[in-house]
Amino acid sequence: MAAMPFQGRRMVVACGLVVAFILVIVRLVNLQVMQAAELTVKADRQHQKNVTLEGARGTIYDRNSKVLAMNMEVPSVFGVPTSLGNPGLTARNLSPILHVKATEIEKKLKQEKHFVWLARKLEPEQGRRLERLSLDGVGVVMEGRRFYPKGPLLSHVLGFAGMDDRGLEGVELRYEQYLRGEKRAVVLQRDALGRAVFPKGLNEEGAAAGHSLTLTVDEVVQYIAEKELDEAVSRSNAKSGTIIVMNPRTGGVLAMAVSPRFDPNAVAALAPGRWRNRALTDTYEPGSTMKTVIAAAALEEKVMTPGSMLYGENGQLSIANTVIHDHEKTGWMTFAQMIQKSSNIGAAKVGMALGEWRVFDYLREFGFGDKTGIDLPGETSGLLRGPRQWGKRSLASISMGQEIGVTPLQMVTAVSAIANGGVLMKPYVVSEIRNAKGQLVAQTMPQAKRRIISADTARTLTTLLEGVVTNGTGGKAAIPGYRVAGKTGTAQKVDPRTGAYSSTLLVGSFLGYVPAEDPRLAMIVVIDEPRGEGWGGVVAAPVFRRVGEQVLNYLGVAVDEPVKLAMAGFES
Amino acid sequence: MKAVAFAAVTSLVLLFVWERVDIVRIGYHIERLKTQKVLLERERDELRVKLSGLTAPERIARLASDKLGMMQPEKGQVVVINIEPETPVNPVVAEGEMRIAKNIVTRRAR
Repeated sequence: MAAMPFQGRRMVVACGLVVAFILVIVRLVNLQVMQAAELTVKADRQHQKNVTLEGARGTIYDRNSKVLAMNMEVPSVFGVPTSLGNPGLTARNLSPILHVKATEIEKKLKQEKHFVWLARKLEPEQGRRLERLSLDGVGVVMEGRRFYPKGPLLSHVLGFAGMDDRGLEGVELRYEQYLRGEKRAVVLQRDALGRAVFPKGLNEEGAAAGHSLTLTVDEVVQYIAEKELDEAVSRSNAKSGTIIVMNPRTGGVLAMAVSPRFDPNAVAALAPGRWRNRALTDTYEPGSTMKTVIAAAALEEKVMTPGSMLYGENGQLSIANTVIHDHEKTGWMTFAQMIQKSSNIGAAKVGMALGEWRVFDYLREFGFGDKTGIDLPGETSGLLRGPRQWGKRSLASISMGQEIGVTPLQMVTAVSAIANGGVLMKPYVVSEIRNAKGQLVAQTMPQAKRRIISADTARTLTTLLEGVVTNGTGGKAAIPGYRVAGKTGTAQKVDPRTGAYSSTLLVGSFLGYVPAEDPRLAMIVVIDEPRGEGWGGVVAAPVFRRVGEQVLNYLGVAVDEPVKLAMAGFES
Repeated sequence: MKAVAFAAVTSLVLLFVWERVDIVRIGYHIERLKTQKVLLERERDELRVKLSGLTAPERIARLASDKLGMMQPEKGQVVVINIEPETPVNPVVAEGEMRIAKNIVTRRAR
C-alpha cells in the first residue's frame, strides 16, 4: 500500500481536529445553553448553603449594669447512628462526659436514624472534653443557652427562657419581642471541602443580637430583701412571703422578693407554679394596712382631722348581727390614736362617716380592683365589689381591710402615692431598652396616673403614720436615725375547711415608707401563714426595719433625726 | 513588536490569575479570622457569666462572713450624714501644710 502523501495526511489531521472542535462546541452549547438552567441550579446547590442565623438573646442588667441574665453559646451533642461501628464503645466513652448512663446513650445510638440528639446545651467544659475525644459518628453543634449567673436572685421577676430560647415567664416573657435575637437567612459560598469561602460571605454580617434591658431593680437591694425575707419566712415557719421595695417618686421597683425562691437555671425540676410571682398574682385581704387608705379618704374629704374624737365602744361593736372586736377595750380616742392603735371599731366608724360610695371611689382612685399596669405578666386586679353588691357589714369590713382582695403590688403602689405627696404612679421594672449596638431604643419615664389626695393631706397622714411607729403597733419597724411612717396589718384568712375566718391562719404585713419627710423607699412586707404570733407588728415590722436600715445605708441616705451613736471600740 | 504584544497579553493574564488566587487566599484568611472571632466572643461570654456569678451579692456576703469573719454593723454603728460645705473646699494645700485625712496640720508644728 502506497503511503499517503504528506498533503493528504495533513488534511486528515485537520479534519479530525475540526470534528473534535465541533463536538466540543456542540457539547458546550448543550451544557451552556440547552441545560444551562438545570445545571446552574445543581451547581448552586453544591456551592451554596442556606443557613438561618439567629442572634443571641439580649442581656438583662440591673440598674447598675450588673448582668442578671445573658446568653452564651454552649455545645449540644448529636449522634449519627447509621455511621457508627460500635455504639456500645461510643456510649461508654460519652457517658462520663455527658453524665448520662451508657445504656441510655447506647439505646439512642442503636436507633435506625441518621440523626439523634444525645444531650443539649451542656456546660462549655463538657464541649471541650468532647472535642479532645474526637469520636466518629458523634458531632457537636453550638446553641444559645440562657444563663442566670446570680442563681435564684430576682427569679420571680426575671422569669426564664425555655430550651428553644423563648421567654416563658416574667420579664423574659413580657419583653420577648425585644429580647429575641434577629433571625436572618444567609447564603454561604462553599468550596469543595464545604468550607465557607470568600467573596460571597464577606459582607454578610451575623444576625444581630436581641435588645438588652436595664431594670429599675438594684441587685444589692434585691439581695437584702430576699435574704431578710427568707430568714423571716423560715423563722416564723410561714407558707410564703413577699417584699416589694419601690421608689415612691417614680414608681420604679427597686426590689421584688418572693419566698420561697427558685433557680431559673434549673426550672425543669420544679413543680409548675413554683415560679408564680405572688407579689402581683396572689390576692389577700390586707387587714389593717387598708386603714391607711380609709384615713387618707377621711382626711381629704375633711370627714376627720387628727384630733377628731371616736368612741371605741369598749372593744365591741355590733353591726348587722355580727360583732366587731378590738384587741384593746378602748373608750374615747382621737382619729390619730385610732390609726396608732389600729382600732377596727374606729376604722369602721370612719368608713361609715365617709359612706359607701366615697369609700368605694377612694379605693378605686388608689388603684384597687384594677391592675397597676406594671410591665410584668400575670398581674391580677384583686377583688373590689361595687357598693350595690355590698352586704350590711361590708362598709365596716372593707374599712378594716376585709371583704377586699388586693395584691402586695397594689398596696405598695397606694402607699407610694401617700409618700410622694398624693400622686399615684404607674409601677415599672424596665427602665431602658438598648439595641445590640448599645443605642437607646426605648426609655421608661415615671408615669403619674392621677392625683388622689392633696399634698397637705399626704403630709398630715404621714404624721399620723409616724405615730404608728413611734407610739403604736409598728414600734418594731423603727429605724434608728430615720423617721418611719407605716402601718401594720394582720388579716385572718378564710379556712378552706370551715369557710369561716380562721384564728390561726393569718397574714401579717407592714406597709410604710422612709424617711418620712422625704421618702426614698416605700415598702411592703407580707408574711403568709406564719406559725405562732402572726401579728404584722411582730412578724413583718422587724423585717421592714432590717431591710430599710441596710438599704438606706447602701443608698447613702442621710439620717433625718438625731441618732445615738454606737461606735465600735468606744465607750459612750 | 509581536513579542512585546505577546508579553503584555501574557502579563495581563497572569495578573488576572494572580489576583483571583490572592482573593481566594485572603478569603480563607478572613474565614479563619471570623472563626477566631467567634471563639473569642464565646470565651468572653463565658468569662462574663463567670464574673457575674462570682460577684453575686450572696456569694460576696457569704465569703465576707465565713472567710473574713465580717458581720453586719449593729444598730447605730453606721450613720449616714449629709455634709454641705458652706464655702467651696479649696483642694490646694497651702505651702508649709500637709493634709492628713481630714485634719490639716502645719509642717513646722510637727
